[in-house]
Amino acid sequence: MRSKIFCAFILAMTMLAASALAHHSPSAIFDMTKKVPITGTLTAVNWVNPHIIVLVDVNKNGTTESWKFESNPPAWFRQVGVSRNDLAKGIGQTVTVEAVTAIDGSHYGYMQKITMPDGTVLELVGENEKAGK
Amino acid sequence: MQNIRRNIACLTIAGALAAGAAFAQSSTAAKPAPGETARAGATHPDLSGTYIYAIDLAPAALKKEVAGKVTISTVDHSAHAKVKEAIPNALPSTPAPSYKPEFVAQVKDLADHESKTDPVFYCARPGVPRIGPPRRVVQLKNEMIFLYEDVSGDPYRVFYTDGRQHREDSNPSYYGDSVAHWEGNVLVIDVLNFVPDGWFGENGYFHTDKMHVTERVWKVGDDLAYQAIVEDPGVLTAPWVMPVRLVKSTALAVEESPACKDEDGAKLLNNDHHGQR
Repeated sequence: MRSKIFCAFILAMTMLAASALAHHSPSAIFDMTKKVPITGTLTAVNWVNPHIIVLVDVNKNGTTESWKFESNPPAWFRQVGVSRNDLAKGIGQTVTVEAVTAIDGSHYGYMQKITMPDGTVLELVGENEKAGK
Repeated sequence: MQNIRRNIACLTIAGALAAGAAFAQSSTAAKPAPGETARAGATHPDLSGTYIYAIDLAPAALKKEVAGKVTISTVDHSAHAKVKEAIPNALPSTPAPSYKPEFVAQVKDLADHESKTDPVFYCARPGVPRIGPPRRVVQLKNEMIFLYEDVSGDPYRVFYTDGRQHREDSNPSYYGDSVAHWEGNVLVIDVLNFVPDGWFGENGYFHTDKMHVTERVWKVGDDLAYQAIVEDPGVLTAPWVMPVRLVKSTALAVEESPACKDEDGAKLLNNDHHGQR
């Protein structure tokens, strides 16, 4: 239980941190208490301000569910060495996004982590996170 | 208005006194000491360079894992870090703008609903002085070029340092009409002729077309110090001296900013918000 509370705290702190530039707090849109994994086909990466946008189509029993995820700003990704192509090279292939999702129940989320088709994992973490598994 | 100018003069003198011996030494030294401002010509420091983003980037890190190897990358927050040490030439700041009593409630209301009322949250131009220090400075003999990278786009400013006055025919704008001169090692930029629909800072700090901004820009070693003073006899009772900001020089080249397309404003369920710029 303690570890669950701790994880929720870390997630909330990271989300708050992840949106310092945002035009709102993530709690104004997203359910901050849980992060969910969503696997599907990466269809587009829009490198726009104030948040990059990642689109993923999920197959649900033969029907397509289209998800839209925002994440940190382009300038943030540039400073940490990630370009649009690092994500766009996976378009048309399967990715897994971990995100907190919109309170209104729409297929909208804030991307915290993405696992690319080649196994590369990109994740937003706290600034005190240390390298090493 | 005379009082405001007198206050500015007092602040300038106080700042110069506070700068003390360090300022005097850097003004007269024939050769810069290590860490001291380099000089482009015989009389003025060279502010040219590329500096880190002035926008408030997320204080998060990126964890990247490739074939079992994990790396962590962080961003530079120097432009928004509170400057702890005394910086030569910095003026004492005032805590908050002093609005006329009839505007105090309006400012509070704007601030309370900032995520819906702040034009900058919806890709509008922050203008001067809210945009802060430039990303790139190109210094010519009698002319300065400031280049910016901003969420709203990439404005530029070109202005002169040769003593000429403000243009008579300039149109109102978010970045105003600028002329500049040197006071010792400090470039002092006088800016006026603003459009009245912007904010000069977070927290609902609206202004009128009477706003007059004085920016002060100087080198501290390789880094760039930036401070602005806002006067607006339309809404303020006294000049507001913003806290000094110190942005680090960087090798990260200037690049065109992606377009700004707000996607989620309609999804806001409350007024929660936090800093931007």
